[in-house]
Amino acid sequence: MLTQRLGEEMFELVVEPTGDVLEVKEGQTILDTLLRSGISIPYQCGHGLCSTCKVTILEGEVDHGEASPFALMDFERDEGVALACCATAQSDIVIEAEIDVDPDARIIPIQDFDAKVERVEKLTGDIICIWLKLDKDLDFQAGQYINLQVPGVAQPRAFSIASSVSQSDLIELHVRYVPDGKATSFLHNDLNIGDTLKASGPFGRFFVRKSRTTPVMFIAGGSGLSSPKSMILDLLDTGFKQPIELFHGTRTAADVYDKELFETLSSEHKNFSYTPVPFDISDESGADWVGEHGVLQDVISQKFEGNFKNWTAYLCGPPGMIEVCIRALMQGRLFEKDIFTEGFLTSAEAETASKSKVFKRI
Amino acid sequence: MTVHKRTKKMGIKERYASMTRDLGWETSYQPMDKVFPYDTYEGIKIHDWDAWVDPFRLTMDAYWKYQSEKERKLYAVIDSFAQNNGQLGITDARYLNAVKIFLTGVSPLEYAAHRGYAFTGRHFRGVGARIACQMQSVDELRHAQTQLHSMSHYNKFFSGMHSHKMMHDRVWYLSVPKSFFDDAMTAGPFEFLTAISFSFEYVLTNLLFVPFMSGAAHNGDMATVTFGFSAQSDEARHMTLGIEIIKFMLEQDEANVPIVQRWIDKWFWRGYRMLALVSMMMDYMLPKRVMSWKEAWEMYFEEAGAALFEDLGRYGIRMPKYHEVATWEKDHLSHQVWSTFYNYAGAAAFHTWMPNDNEKSWLKDKYPDSFEKHYEPRFDHFTAKKEAGERFFNGSLPMLCNTCQIPLIFTEPGDPTTTCYRESEYKDDKYHFCSDGCKDIFDYEPEKYIQSWMPVHQIYQGNCGGAELEDVLKWYQMDLGVDNGDYHDSEDFKMWTEWSENQKKAV
Repeated sequence: MLTQRLGEEMFELVVEPTGDVLEVKEGQTILDTLLRSGISIPYQCGHGLCSTCKVTILEGEVDHGEASPFALMDFERDEGVALACCATAQSDIVIEAEIDVDPDARIIPIQDFDAKVERVEKLTGDIICIWLKLDKDLDFQAGQYINLQVPGVAQPRAFSIASSVSQSDLIELHVRYVPDGKATSFLHNDLNIGDTLKASGPFGRFFVRKSRTTPVMFIAGGSGLSSPKSMILDLLDTGFKQPIELFHGTRTAADVYDKELFETLSSEHKNFSYTPVPFDISDESGADWVGEHGVLQDVISQKFEGNFKNWTAYLCGPPGMIEVCIRALMQGRLFEKDIFTEGFLTSAEAETASKSKVFKRI
Repeated sequence: MTVHKRTKKMGIKERYASMTRDLGWETSYQPMDKVFPYDTYEGIKIHDWDAWVDPFRLTMDAYWKYQSEKERKLYAVIDSFAQNNGQLGITDARYLNAVKIFLTGVSPLEYAAHRGYAFTGRHFRGVGARIACQMQSVDELRHAQTQLHSMSHYNKFFSGMHSHKMMHDRVWYLSVPKSFFDDAMTAGPFEFLTAISFSFEYVLTNLLFVPFMSGAAHNGDMATVTFGFSAQSDEARHMTLGIEIIKFMLEQDEANVPIVQRWIDKWFWRGYRMLALVSMMMDYMLPKRVMSWKEAWEMYFEEAGAALFEDLGRYGIRMPKYHEVATWEKDHLSHQVWSTFYNYAGAAAFHTWMPNDNEKSWLKDKYPDSFEKHYEPRFDHFTAKKEAGERFFNGSLPMLCNTCQIPLIFTEPGDPTTTCYRESEYKDDKYHFCSDGCKDIFDYEPEKYIQSWMPVHQIYQGNCGGAELEDVLKWYQMDLGVDNGDYHDSEDFKMWTEWSENQKKAV
């Protein structure tokens, strides 16, 4: 048994063939646990009738719940088969599920850290950069995030790591102020240098697929520049030779940040190209703006002449931006298998609208 | 915390691919285009069949094992249903009329699907799509068989169930489902999958199969419920095939997008028109109602369909044309259809009746904007005539829509007091339609639809047994005065009343 929290039993769920280790609550179905961790397996009806979500229990005990005798036959139960949508853990379990093994996913154990605030810097009107000194090295894949326990806020908040993987005990987070957001208002207003916060990580499946040999583009919105920054630093450090495009969409010119860094990088690396795209340059900050501006996806489509074939795209930022960019990419013939996204949801937005089953990840 | 080493063995997906993809090969004695002549002529461009993602990964050996186990379970239930006189456990013999429609209208479609998928599978050069179709073909055959076996018990006692196959081929209203499937089967393989796997199995299935199955559950029909469960464990695979074929076509070439959109428009409308039969089943034929047609439409199409088309919008696919007409019709559809079948009960192989007071208040409750105003007065008139011993039967033959083959009974979108008529001229002949949706379908492929076997035309041309109604009904293989007519004058009703009284006495 993993932990005992508020009288609620937690079990450990190991998922093969990927080896992911997850926590599962008492009464929580295996399917729910997988989906909430961003692990996609085939499923349809969600209530034990259709048998699409069959998994094999390699170790441990499950309760089959409402699984229909036609969807999960007795002989299958005897052989350790279960329907993920109905099965709940009765002990620590190991399952084998129909998951695409991602050749680029590393298995990194999640650890807890004490993170001491070393420096805070204002990046834009509403985004700050926080440097955290960790009590030990953090091993992570560029693009992943950590969970930060913010004082006075019950649930931890997720923040992508913006710094390079080579800098393993000093990490950089970009935090946008969310109006009425408890956690971000604490971080913006009440955080002091020298404070120590609890953190855990690394988490997430948003990382560079290095086994791919295609050119890559990053589309970042606002503080969604964090993951791409880390990913681009990693690619350039490791001598990636294919073209790399970075588009950073912001509201105004004043919201563009790390401009000098990326301009320097693009002058040093022939294969790296940087395009900041403020939407609106009519205000003071945009008065002497030189370069692209306007609707992010239109600027990108124009630069690619509407054809994204044979690229790999990484999108990071608010869900609305991600959706319009996915549409532009798909119109330009780039589809789900070549698109990776990390949507930045505020905790209020986390319960999202219903989606169909047309897409698995995006 | 323990860290598990990643296993080196193949994932389920790779295992499946390695067992199936080798089953295809590049032909050498004959060019591939001659071996697979049909998968190019619809204009769908496929550049890479290997990009096909297998929608399900069930190998044949596993398939036989699962299905035979399912059969054992199902037939055990059917046997015990028969031995325990399960027919006595249903709510009311009126319910059996829904079963009659299912038996003559839907089960033959399962058989047609069996043929359609076998044919379509044969004609895909991509081995992934071929195997998916062939597997579904076997499923559909099994569905047809188990449905017939499950319902056969009722045939021992009740009318109208003795000749489902012949009726499906000949009876006027059954030409609606039959022509729907014939239309799909005579299209090319990609259109067939768009029609049946996507539009029908994915988009509309919750409005067809589910109402019948939950209707059965609510009305004590355990035989039907059990085959429903048994079939539902296959349906998910079929729905997944529907989504995969759409994604595959849309991703392979942008020139496919407008073709797929046209097919979605067409098959949404054709499927929706066929569901008119389901709407009256839900609102009028189930003694114990599950939900109204309107509620089902809102839940399964307006909500779930909106989410689906929102996602498909990323490919440039929009909501099917005339979906707003279908949504407007949700207040009227079932009432207009039931009224028609009440009229034509003399020529149908099931019985009709007028709703009783309880049922009328349910209808008023579910349809506050339409039932009381537009349909109750008409139904009260029918009821009064019946009570006066003058049950109304319409003796004329109606004009049929040349596309969906439903009589022209629907009203103008937005105006429930004006009947909707549309017409087109083609090669000096005039063709009639129930709606803009059906007219559009005809206008795009007139050469196909001028060949339709139109039941009313066929009767007038003397191809249906004779000139009199009686001759035609005999040719339909109906038992006159038994299978047709008003429920309350039927032998089914008489027998059910006797049984119920005997049961009361026994208690």
